[in-house]
Amino acid sequence: MNRSVKRGAIRAARMTTLYIMVIGVAMIILFPIFFLVSLSLMSGYESYYEWPNPLIPAFSAKYKLEKSDEGYHLSIYNKAEKRYERFGPEKFGTTAEDLEKISVFVKRQGNSTLKTERLKEEISRLVDRDEVFFSLSKNLLANYKVFFQVTRDAVPSVIRSIYTALTTIAISLIIGGMAGYAFARYIFKGRNLLKLSVLFVRMFPGVAIAIPMVIILGRIGLYDQPLGLSLIYSVTQISLTIWITASIFMAIPVELEEAALIFGTTKFGAFWHVTIPLALPGLAACAMYSFIGSWNEVIQAVVLTQFNPTFPVVVYKVLVGAGAQVNLITAGSIAQAFPAVLFTLLIRKYILRMWGGVRV
Amino acid sequence: MFKLLYSREFRQKAVPYLLIAPVLIYYALFWLYPVIQCFAGSFRDVNNKLTLYNYAFIFKDPTFYKALFNTAFIVVFSVTLEFLAAFGLALIINIKFKGSGIFLFIAMIPMALPAVAVGAIWSSGFATYGWLNSFLYYLGFIEKTAKIPFLAGGNVASMILIIIIDAWQVVPFMMIILLAGMQGLDEEAKEAGYIFGGTKFTVLRKITIPLLKPTITTALILRIISAIQIWLIIVMIYGFQRLPVLLEELVYYVDESHSMEFFRIGIAYSVIISIFVSIAAVIYLKVTGAFGKEAEETA
Repeated sequence: MNRSVKRGAIRAARMTTLYIMVIGVAMIILFPIFFLVSLSLMSGYESYYEWPNPLIPAFSAKYKLEKSDEGYHLSIYNKAEKRYERFGPEKFGTTAEDLEKISVFVKRQGNSTLKTERLKEEISRLVDRDEVFFSLSKNLLANYKVFFQVTRDAVPSVIRSIYTALTTIAISLIIGGMAGYAFARYIFKGRNLLKLSVLFVRMFPGVAIAIPMVIILGRIGLYDQPLGLSLIYSVTQISLTIWITASIFMAIPVELEEAALIFGTTKFGAFWHVTIPLALPGLAACAMYSFIGSWNEVIQAVVLTQFNPTFPVVVYKVLVGAGAQVNLITAGSIAQAFPAVLFTLLIRKYILRMWGGVRV
Repeated sequence: MFKLLYSREFRQKAVPYLLIAPVLIYYALFWLYPVIQCFAGSFRDVNNKLTLYNYAFIFKDPTFYKALFNTAFIVVFSVTLEFLAAFGLALIINIKFKGSGIFLFIAMIPMALPAVAVGAIWSSGFATYGWLNSFLYYLGFIEKTAKIPFLAGGNVASMILIIIIDAWQVVPFMMIILLAGMQGLDEEAKEAGYIFGGTKFTVLRKITIPLLKPTITTALILRIISAIQIWLIIVMIYGFQRLPVLLEELVYYVDESHSMEFFRIGIAYSVIISIFVSIAAVIYLKVTGAFGKEAEETA
């Protein structure tokens, strides 16, 4: 009796420590990501002038408009300082063009839309008083839109990245898949040596192939081209594809192919009609893995592109170059991260199997 | 002769080689050829004359030794600390508990994030006016006037920061791999260990760790190889030449300085990095016994 109570207490204590650990680790993982997302939804003003940074981005912002002899003065409510502070230049003029400037400024720095009619309406209220207060709803996704508008080459670079990833998948799945099938189904001389070379190529630093490729691709007119880049990406991706497809084909019993042969198909027919449909989910996972590898790759793309960079290179250059607003940078990097994170989580089982030391 | 080529046996034997031929051709063209070019190119100057200048430049450059030291420091400490942390966590969490599925899902996220996103998280976090200081302020750890200047530290402090960022990304993932390995272990082996009077520690040392060895070596060597090639996160947090590491120097010479002379120095850097990585790769292949397997297979 006493002993079982004691054992129960020990178990409870153990489970409590476990949950504290688990929740602690989950928090450490999630908080930085939470702040990245949160920053990407903030206006330039919130992320830059409000300190401490708000935990959660505001859905609206409060403005104050004043009139003096010199013109209009715009202020915004600073949540950290708990008071209105000057927003934008000291003064705006009174011409229609200047009113336009106020709207543009509110859009750029406050992520809100201030229509000219609304502004005129607020100004008309200034007749009998010195200042008017008004509140504007914030466009939460504005940073994502603005990032692609103001970053030179952002949209074309996304298209280039997708094109590069798709050609890489095609090359590595065809060439690597064939070899993977050979490794899974045949025993032949030199098999082990080949397996070793595949492993070695996979581990070899990609940058060491990229640098001489500047000259080699330049000779055949593929330098600074997405196709040239995918030729290089395929080297690493083929190794990974051989690795993954071999384990996929091994998991499909060879007896199924033999049964199809008995029913009179050719060897290729059996492969095409029996093995491929069964291997399809695994092959899809493999394609996604190649996509992630090629979509995220930076160093080879930095070396091998000049005027036609890929999307991660564009985001990297914005981040490293001074002067970009942090809210725009975070939006750009989330846009770049999103497909990679999505695909990784979709195929997490396959990735774990690869890292867990599963042998070909 | 034709009879031989068309014989059934020959065709059977040729199939795997035909399937592998495209890979061999591809590797020859796009891997072996550039690797040889890289090696040869590192011994040539702008006018294609044989020279040792590129290496002489590097070995005379004090930044190279800093980069070498920093890279070694990061490899040794990040891999060791990350492994110990991940192993410890995996041992504690290796029980079935409610919500373990969600937890493992969350733990996959940092590794899934591309380098630029990790750079954005931590360059905005470690900035003096960044979210980390804001967060510490909300928690009451710091005063409004006493923000911590995370990025202002010296060489070692900077490297510790980089190791922390790297650990944030890698430890959860390594933990999952080790957990997966532990859950695949034969429980009976452990039970037998306890029955024969083993304590928790001896069971861990004599049974769990040896059984996990393949998982551990794979994870460790792949980590070492990627730690040798760390650069992007450093450049995104500190910029070029503030905390030099080998690959960052390479990118600096190849991309940032637009001159053919420096491009050649970049090539020499890539040879040096390749040698380090290759050594790690060969050790891995040796340790896992990949060299010795041919004999078993043909026997």
